[in-house]
Amino acid sequence: MKVKKFFLYPVIACIFLYCLFPFFWTIQTALKPPEEVFRLPVSYLPETISLENLKAVFAKRPFGRYILNSVIAAGGATALTLWVASLLAFRLRAMDLRRAMRVQRWFLVGAILPPALMVIPVFMVMKQLALVDNYLALILAYTALNLPFAVWMLHAAFRQLPRELNEAAVMDGFSSFAILYRIVLPLSRPSLAVTAVLVFIFCWNEFILALSLMPSQAKYTVPVGIALLSGASVYEIPWGEINAAVALTTVPIILLIAALQRWIIEGLTTGAVKG
Amino acid sequence: MGGRYRCKENSTGEASIRQSTFLALVIFFSFAFLPFSVDAQHTLRMIGPEDVGGAWNEVIRRFHATHPDIRVDYISGPWSTDERQNMYIRSFLAGDAIELVYMDVIWTAKFASQGWLMPLDEWFSPEVREALFPRDIEAGFYQGHFYRVPVRTDAGMLYYRKDLMPEPPRTWEEFEAVCNRYGNPPERYCIVFQGMQYEGLVCNYLEYLWGAGGTPIDNDQNVLLDKEENISALTFMKKVIDRGWAPKSVITFQEQQALEFFEQGKALMMRNWPYAWTILRRSPLEGKVGIVPFIHQAGSESAGTLGGWGFGIARTANYPEAAWKFIEFAISPEAQKILHFRRGAVPTRKSLFQDEEILKASPHYKDLYEVLLKSRPRPIHPEYPRMSSILQKHVSAVLVGIESPQEAALQMDQSIESMLNGKRHSWPRRLFLDHDLKKTLKNTLTFTGFSVPLEFLLGLLFALLVNLHFRGRSLMRLSVLVPWALPTAVMAMAWQWMFNNPFGVINDLLVRVGVLREPMDWLSTPQGAMFASVFADVWKTTPFVAIILLAGLQAVPKELRESLSIDGGGKIAMFFHLLLPLLLPFIRVALIFRIIHAAGIFDLMWVLTKGGPADTTRTLSLYIYDLAFRYDEVGYALFLTCLFLLGLILVSLLIVRTTTLRYERI
Repeated sequence: MKVKKFFLYPVIACIFLYCLFPFFWTIQTALKPPEEVFRLPVSYLPETISLENLKAVFAKRPFGRYILNSVIAAGGATALTLWVASLLAFRLRAMDLRRAMRVQRWFLVGAILPPALMVIPVFMVMKQLALVDNYLALILAYTALNLPFAVWMLHAAFRQLPRELNEAAVMDGFSSFAILYRIVLPLSRPSLAVTAVLVFIFCWNEFILALSLMPSQAKYTVPVGIALLSGASVYEIPWGEINAAVALTTVPIILLIAALQRWIIEGLTTGAVKG
Repeated sequence: MGGRYRCKENSTGEASIRQSTFLALVIFFSFAFLPFSVDAQHTLRMIGPEDVGGAWNEVIRRFHATHPDIRVDYISGPWSTDERQNMYIRSFLAGDAIELVYMDVIWTAKFASQGWLMPLDEWFSPEVREALFPRDIEAGFYQGHFYRVPVRTDAGMLYYRKDLMPEPPRTWEEFEAVCNRYGNPPERYCIVFQGMQYEGLVCNYLEYLWGAGGTPIDNDQNVLLDKEENISALTFMKKVIDRGWAPKSVITFQEQQALEFFEQGKALMMRNWPYAWTILRRSPLEGKVGIVPFIHQAGSESAGTLGGWGFGIARTANYPEAAWKFIEFAISPEAQKILHFRRGAVPTRKSLFQDEEILKASPHYKDLYEVLLKSRPRPIHPEYPRMSSILQKHVSAVLVGIESPQEAALQMDQSIESMLNGKRHSWPRRLFLDHDLKKTLKNTLTFTGFSVPLEFLLGLLFALLVNLHFRGRSLMRLSVLVPWALPTAVMAMAWQWMFNNPFGVINDLLVRVGVLREPMDWLSTPQGAMFASVFADVWKTTPFVAIILLAGLQAVPKELRESLSIDGGGKIAMFFHLLLPLLLPFIRVALIFRIIHAAGIFDLMWVLTKGGPADTTRTLSLYIYDLAFRYDEVGYALFLTCLFLLGLILVSLLIVRTTTLRYERI
């Protein structure tokens, strides 16, 4: 057992480093003063910690606006997704398992497509609806993209509730909606939370649809804003600021998953178990 | 009214609070989703880069002073010209056209052919025509109509060190003599120019091509790139690098890097635009630099690539007269001088080249006048952007040494020919002619072929480890989740920084460990860029594979494992006979998912390599996206999307078939 541990820990340390290093590097670059960013030899820890890059991100460009856009799009999509998904999952729960799974498998076909393949049709539809550059376009597109996953998660959660609850509720004169809103949803709060967080992260991270559906700068989401960051001239790329922006977008996500990591892994794996 | 009435009637405060929150929400959302507000004034919008120096702000302020009924909004766009063009295109496609189209000289033909611009013939008086540079005017015409009024001009030219050589070279032969005599690399190279794969490279290349007496395409739309002139132009460009006249790093240079290099005294000559003069005047090189038209082959004529910016009016603009008034003001001596002094813009009005104020500040404008009269526009063709990207690719490939000048000339010719012809064929036939499709398909397969197996090996390792019990397991799980949860596009930016030369950490680490002797330009060599993309993708998606496989491992019943180890099965045997078959359904899911997503990769490449260098990391998705959003071939793009989708479905079915064991098939 000792020998095994002797090998195990170095390997684990390597994986740990491998996974976290890019993130660490971003943070340490972001915290360096601008001169130190472009200095050789490369320093692995900032000699002086400076918030100059972070300030510059907000001062020089509408980064706060990008964050607001992302929050509106991702938040709106998460809310809409959860609402529609809970209705669908509730209906699936009423079916027998075999049929429900068959229906779900069809949903999954949509979930598996890479967004790059859907961007053109989605853009054309949104253009027809005159929704380009409107938050609704992103909210609707993200909802469609994440619905299968959310239905999957919620259906799994709803199934775990005992059926007798239903019967008791019906006896008490509850309508279907009342059962959903007053009984099923409150009882599945943890699953709802995990699903919400995951859907939110997916939307927050999405790039190609945000790039195409929200063409004006005032509507850029955070990833688009960062990917299009450039310097005072085309040629001087402000790496300090870029890293600061990257750090600002990624730290909240990492905090979120750190807080919820156990449930996230569980949620993702239950999703996969049924595939 | 009714709402408020009911609120008052309501006895319980709670309900009214609920109602007012609801109302607030409704109001908030209706504002958030309102496309734009209606204005009594005539509002005109334009997009330009960040208004450094406040030149446009001042021009607009003065315009407002005399035209109170018109409002001009300057939308500060990104620095990348391409991105600003995309902003305009998207505004046209979305049906809410930005009224004032502030465009690069090369957008004109494309925008005009799409019907996005209004012909300006009725306003374009002979006086205006007389006052501006003829080549700039010429570039504003498309199929006999005038669409673009030049506001600032630009032309490529040769800067040389007056203090280091008696006479600037005029021809290629003289250039060679000067280089051999005065050049002394690596302390002092002979020339720097823009060698990176982007529009600027085409501007450089065309000056060699025109200088050799060639031209890319004639007036009857015949592609002339397989001709001798092109081969000699490319050969000469390659010679400039091979002989060490230009530094090797020139293939990563855009304007600014070339200028910095020249400014540090490390080169005798530089090809650049007029703006460089303003900066050199404030540098140690002040008074030591002269300008001449670019070099040419003996027996041909010199020509500088015409650049510059001008105004068009969107066809759907509501107040074209107001827009024209602003354009007229923008080419007035008053506005042009503001743009000149605050922004370094070269006026398009000829008379300003005799203006005392300007000549006092910029005595070189006498020489510049000659250069500008000799400038030549790039091919005026709606398909110019694609033409240019083909040229960029192959010129870059020659400079990097991936292609010989002969190969490149032939490829350019065929590629452009097939692109121009392709539009005349039906989609299925075009499929077989499509050069770019073949190349991007190959890149996609390479990328998928490397990244997916790597992800699986690493992912399995991660999953097996995370499944063990040890101290710090939850920390480990968290660290594995991190790459998965971070946005690809954003992290691609971080990777770009890490692969930077020379400030990137990857170069630094590899040099320290001794793997590399000196920092390497990862993103500008074909293998390096592909490696970087695969590396970043493996980092990002291994956790996904690991999570799914972990689910599989956890589904293996403990008793089964124990009974097998009691039976004396070896570890390896257990892995292959027990774990792997049980994991198979999970492997299948992960494999299908990963292959589909790796084949459809977009954001990573779009940010990290932009598909370069020489298109070696351009994948199918990037190509299809370009077709739809840059080349306006939505139909063909959709056709390719459908085929792509069909291909992915077939691959998935194949995977399902081959990985389904007999006992699973019921």
